[in-house]
Amino acid sequence: MKKLLASIIAMILAIVAAFGMIACGGPSGDPDIDEDGNTVIKIMFHVDKTSVEGQAYLKRVNAFNLAHKEEKIKAQAIFKARTTGASGYETELINNQIEGTLADIVTFDAPNTAAYAKSGLFYDLSSLVSASEQEKFYSLNKYDGKLYGLPIQESSAGFFYNKKIFRAAGIYDMVQGYTAENPWTFDQFKEVCSRLKTHGTIPVDMRIDATKDEMAPYLLYPFIYAAGGSFTDATGYVATGYYNSAATKSGFQFIKDLIGAGYTSYAIGATDFFTEKVGMYLSSGWTIPDLDNKYRENFASRDDWGLLPYPKGTVAASATGSWSYAITNNHHPDKTNVIKLLNWMTSAESSKAITDATGMIPVRKDVNHGYAVGSPEYTLLKQLELTGKERPVTVAYPVFSTTFNQVIAGLGDGNLDTLLSTATTTLQNEMNRLQNMRG
Amino acid sequence: MLTTTLIILAVFIIAFLGFVVYDLATAKKRKEVYRVKSTLTAYLMLLPAVILAFLFIMLPILYSLGYAFTDYYLLKPNDINFIWFQNFVDFFKELATKGTLYNAIKNTLIFVVGVVPLQIGLALLLALFVNRPGFGSKIFKVCFFAPVVISLSVTSFLWLQILAPGEGGLLNALLGVFGIPPHDWLRDPKTAMPCIIILSAWQGCGYQMLIFLSGLSNIRKELYEAASLDGANWWRKFWLVTWPGLRSTFVYIIITVFIGACRILTQPMLMTGYQDQTVTLSYYMYQQGYTYRWVGYSSAVALLMTIFIGGITLIQRRVFREK
Amino acid sequence: MDKSITQLPNFRPNKKPAKKTVKEVIYHVVGIILSLIFLFPIIYMLATSTKSETAYAESLGSLQMFLPDFANIGTMFENYKSVLVNYDIWKYALNSFLYAAIVIVLNVLVNGLAGYVMAKLRFPGKRLLSFLIIFLIVVPVETSIIPLYSIVKIMLGLKQEMSVIGVILPAAISIFNVFLFTQFFEGVPKEYEEAARIDGATTMGVFLKVIMPLSKPIIATVAVFCFIGVWNDYLWPSMILPAANDGSWPLLPIQTALISIQGMEGITTGEIMASLIITSIPIFIIYVAAQKYIVQGFGTAGLKM
Repeated sequence: MKKLLASIIAMILAIVAAFGMIACGGPSGDPDIDEDGNTVIKIMFHVDKTSVEGQAYLKRVNAFNLAHKEEKIKAQAIFKARTTGASGYETELINNQIEGTLADIVTFDAPNTAAYAKSGLFYDLSSLVSASEQEKFYSLNKYDGKLYGLPIQESSAGFFYNKKIFRAAGIYDMVQGYTAENPWTFDQFKEVCSRLKTHGTIPVDMRIDATKDEMAPYLLYPFIYAAGGSFTDATGYVATGYYNSAATKSGFQFIKDLIGAGYTSYAIGATDFFTEKVGMYLSSGWTIPDLDNKYRENFASRDDWGLLPYPKGTVAASATGSWSYAITNNHHPDKTNVIKLLNWMTSAESSKAITDATGMIPVRKDVNHGYAVGSPEYTLLKQLELTGKERPVTVAYPVFSTTFNQVIAGLGDGNLDTLLSTATTTLQNEMNRLQNMRG
Repeated sequence: MLTTTLIILAVFIIAFLGFVVYDLATAKKRKEVYRVKSTLTAYLMLLPAVILAFLFIMLPILYSLGYAFTDYYLLKPNDINFIWFQNFVDFFKELATKGTLYNAIKNTLIFVVGVVPLQIGLALLLALFVNRPGFGSKIFKVCFFAPVVISLSVTSFLWLQILAPGEGGLLNALLGVFGIPPHDWLRDPKTAMPCIIILSAWQGCGYQMLIFLSGLSNIRKELYEAASLDGANWWRKFWLVTWPGLRSTFVYIIITVFIGACRILTQPMLMTGYQDQTVTLSYYMYQQGYTYRWVGYSSAVALLMTIFIGGITLIQRRVFREK
Repeated sequence: MDKSITQLPNFRPNKKPAKKTVKEVIYHVVGIILSLIFLFPIIYMLATSTKSETAYAESLGSLQMFLPDFANIGTMFENYKSVLVNYDIWKYALNSFLYAAIVIVLNVLVNGLAGYVMAKLRFPGKRLLSFLIIFLIVVPVETSIIPLYSIVKIMLGLKQEMSVIGVILPAAISIFNVFLFTQFFEGVPKEYEEAARIDGATTMGVFLKVIMPLSKPIIATVAVFCFIGVWNDYLWPSMILPAANDGSWPLLPIQTALISIQGMEGITTGEIMASLIITSIPIFIIYVAAQKYIVQGFGTAGLKM
C-alpha cells in the first residue's frame, strides 16, 4: 500500500515537473527543419481541410512544395476550423500567440488588422511587397500607413432576389436596370419593397437578427456610408462627431424605416428566403454556391434567382473585406522563405484557383475571372471595383463591432439618438484607452 | 510570471512554517501531542491537494487581486505595469455614462431579485407538495426534477427555440391560438430579463427541491405528532415545526442560489449575445477581459463583485442564522 | 448511511374516507398540471427532434407540437442520425466521458486523502489549513477566468494538445469536496482504524483498506458532482483547447460541440433538438442512478457550512 501512495504522489509530482520543463523550454529561434532537411514554413487556415475552400488551399500549398523541392523549402498547411465561426478561430490565434506556437503565416478577418498589428502579432510587410505588386490588389490590409496583410479573396454582398416572386409582383423588368454600374437609390429600394409587400410577400431579409457575431456589421455598414455617414476618423482613434453625426444617423434611420414600414423584421427565419417566403435576401457571395446546388427544388436554375447591388443614398457604397494572409512576428525572425510562400499564395494563379473553388471574387486586378456580364459574380466584382468601401480601420474594432450590433438590435423600438450616443461614447472610451496604452 | 509565483510560494511556505513553529511551541499548553512520523505522513498525503489548490485556486485569486491594479492587456503578457486605482476610476467613469456596464449591473440585480425568491419559493412549495407517501408524489418529484438534468447550455438553446420571434416560436404559436400577436421576447427590454428569470428558475428549482426534501426528512416526526395533539392546523404546523426545522437548509439554499444568480453568464451569452437588454456583470467581465483583452480592468470588476457578493452573503448569514 | 434520510416523514392522513378520496383526486390533478407545466419544454424538445423542418413548421399552433411525427415513423430518427454522423458529436461525447473519468479518479484520490488527513491525523499547521478551507468555502471569491488562463497558458506553458491537462487538473481539486470528505471521515468511528492498526497497517493502508470501502456513499456523491461539472462545462475548455487540425480527433468536449452545431449553416430545428437530447442523456442516467447519493451529499455535510 505504501507503494501505491508513493506512485500516486510520484505521478502528480511528475505532472507538475513536466509543467516546469515545458515552461522553461520555450520555443527556439531556429527555423523548423524536418527529417529530410527541409526548412518548414507553417501556414494556418481558418477552414476545414475537407471543405471545398480547404482543398483549394491545400492544392496550392502542395504545388508550392513541388516547385520549391530543390530549395529544400516545405510549406506545411494547418487547418483549424473552429466550427463556431470567426470568433472561435480568433481564440485559436490568441492562444497560439500566448503559447508561442504561432504559424509563420496565418489567415485572419480583415477588420482585425489594426488590433492585431497594434498588439504586435503581425510583421510589417511594407518593404517586402513592392509598390507595383501592391497596386494589383483591389484592397490591402493597412494600419498606421504600414502594410500588414494581403487578402486571400474578396467578398462583396448584395441582395439576392427571387425572380419568380418578382415576376409575379410585376417588378422584374423594373429591377433589371439596377446594376453595379448604375445602382438603385434608397427610394427605389423602398418602392420595390412596397410592391413586394402589396404582393403579399415579406419584402427583404436584412439580417438584422444576426447580431451575435460579425454578420450584421459586415452586411449593413455600407448603408451608413451610402447615406454619407461614417464611424471614425482616418486615424481610427476618434469616433465622436462621426459615429453620432447626422449623416450616420440617416443611414441607420433608413434601416429603421424599413422595419417600421414592415418591409423587414427581426423574426425572419434563417431559411425563409430559400423556402420562398421572402423576396430579397441580403448576403455575401458565399450564398451563390448554396443557391446553385443546395436548394434545387425551389431554385432550379439561375432563371429563378438573381442579385441586385446595394442601393445608393448620397453616394454608392458596398461591403468589402474578407479573409487575408499575414506574416506573424513569431519565433522565426528570418522571413525570406516565408515571403516566398506568401507571394505564391497571393499570385494570380493561386487567386484564380481559390476563387474558382469558393465562388468569391479574386483579389487581384490581373486575374482573368471570365464572368459573364450581368451574372451575379460580375455584379459583385463590378460593385467591389466601383463602390467597395472597407469597414472602419480602428484598433478598437471588436468594440465597434459590438456597438454596431447593439444599435442594429435596438433599431426596432429604441430611440436612435440614444442608441448612437451610447455607441459613440462606448467606442470613444475604448479608443482613448487603447491610445493611452503603453507600447 | 514564474518569478512572481515563486515569490508567492516562498511567502506561503514561510507563513506555513511560522504557524508550524507556533503550533509546536503551544502544543503543551493545548495538551496536543505531535508525532514526527504521523506529521510526515500527513504532509505527504496532503501534498497533491496542496499543490493543486495552490496552482488553481490560490494563485488565480491572488493574481486576480493583483491584476486589478495593473494595465495587463491579454496580448502583452510581458508588459504589465502597475496603474494603481486607474481601473477603478475607469469603472466608475464607465458607470456614469449609463452604458453597457450600467445595464449589466441593472440586469444582474433584476435577475438576482427576481430569481432568488422565485426559485427558492417554487422549490419549497414543490418540496412540500411531493413530501408525502404514495406513487403519485414520487412521479411528480421526478417530473419537477427533470429540467435540472438538462444543462444550462441545453436549457438556453431549448428556450431560444421556444421564445423565437415571429410565428416560428413555440410560445408565440401557443399564444397565437388565443389570438395574441407574436412578440419578440428576448429583444424587448421589458420581457428579456423576465424570460431569462423564468427559464432559469424552471431549470434550477428541482435541485433546491431535493435539498429541501433532505431537510424535511431530518425533521423528527414526533414534533408533528405533538403539534397534531395540540390541535394545530396545517399552517400552524408549518410555522411551528417545518419552518424552524428547515432553517439551516434555507440559509444554505439562499446563499448558494444568491451566489449562483450573481454569476449568471451562460443564458445571455448563448441566447442573445452581448446586448444591453440582457448583458450581465459576469458577461461584461468576460467580454472586457477576454474579447476586448483588458485583463486588468476585468480583474478590477471581479474584485468589486467579490466585495459586493461577499458583503451580501455576510448580511444573509447574520440575518438568517439561528440565534 | 442511515436509512431514515431517504425516507420521508408521513403527514397524518385525514380520517374520513370520502373526504380523503376527494383530497387525493385534487392532489393528483394539481400534481399532473404542475408536472405538465414543468415538462412541456422537454416534451416539445423530444417531439421536435423527430420532425423534419417542414413537419415542424406545419405542427406549430396545433397539438402536433407536442407529439412525435408518427406520420413519418420511418424517418423519426433521421435527425439523430444526421447529428451523430455529420457532426461527429459522438467523438466529443467520448472526450467528455474520458475527461470526466480522469477527473473523478484524481478528484476522489486527491481530495479524499486531504479530507482524511484533516479529519484523522494530528500535525502542526493543521489549524491554519482548516481556517483556509473554511475561508475559501465561505467567501465567494469572484475571479475573472483570465488569471487561471494566464497560469495555464503562460506560467505552466500548456500549449496545443497539452492544454488537455489544463482542463483536467484544475477540476481535480475542489475545496468543497475536501470539506465533504473531512465531514464524512470525522463520522467514521475510531475502532475501525484501531483494529487495522493493531494488524500492522500503515496510515495509507488504513486509508485505502478501511476508510475508502466505508466511504462509498461520499465517493459516489463526489463522483456524481465531478461528472456533472465536467460534462456541463463549456466556456473554459473552449478557451484553452485547440481546434482539431485537419480531421484528426478533436479535443473539445461535448458542450462546445453543441454550441458549434447551433451555429452551423442550414441546421434544422429538429437537428438542434436531437443534439440537445443526445447531450442530456448521460446526465439523465447519472441522476437517475445516483439520486440517492446527491441527496445524501447534502444530508451529510452540505448543510453544516
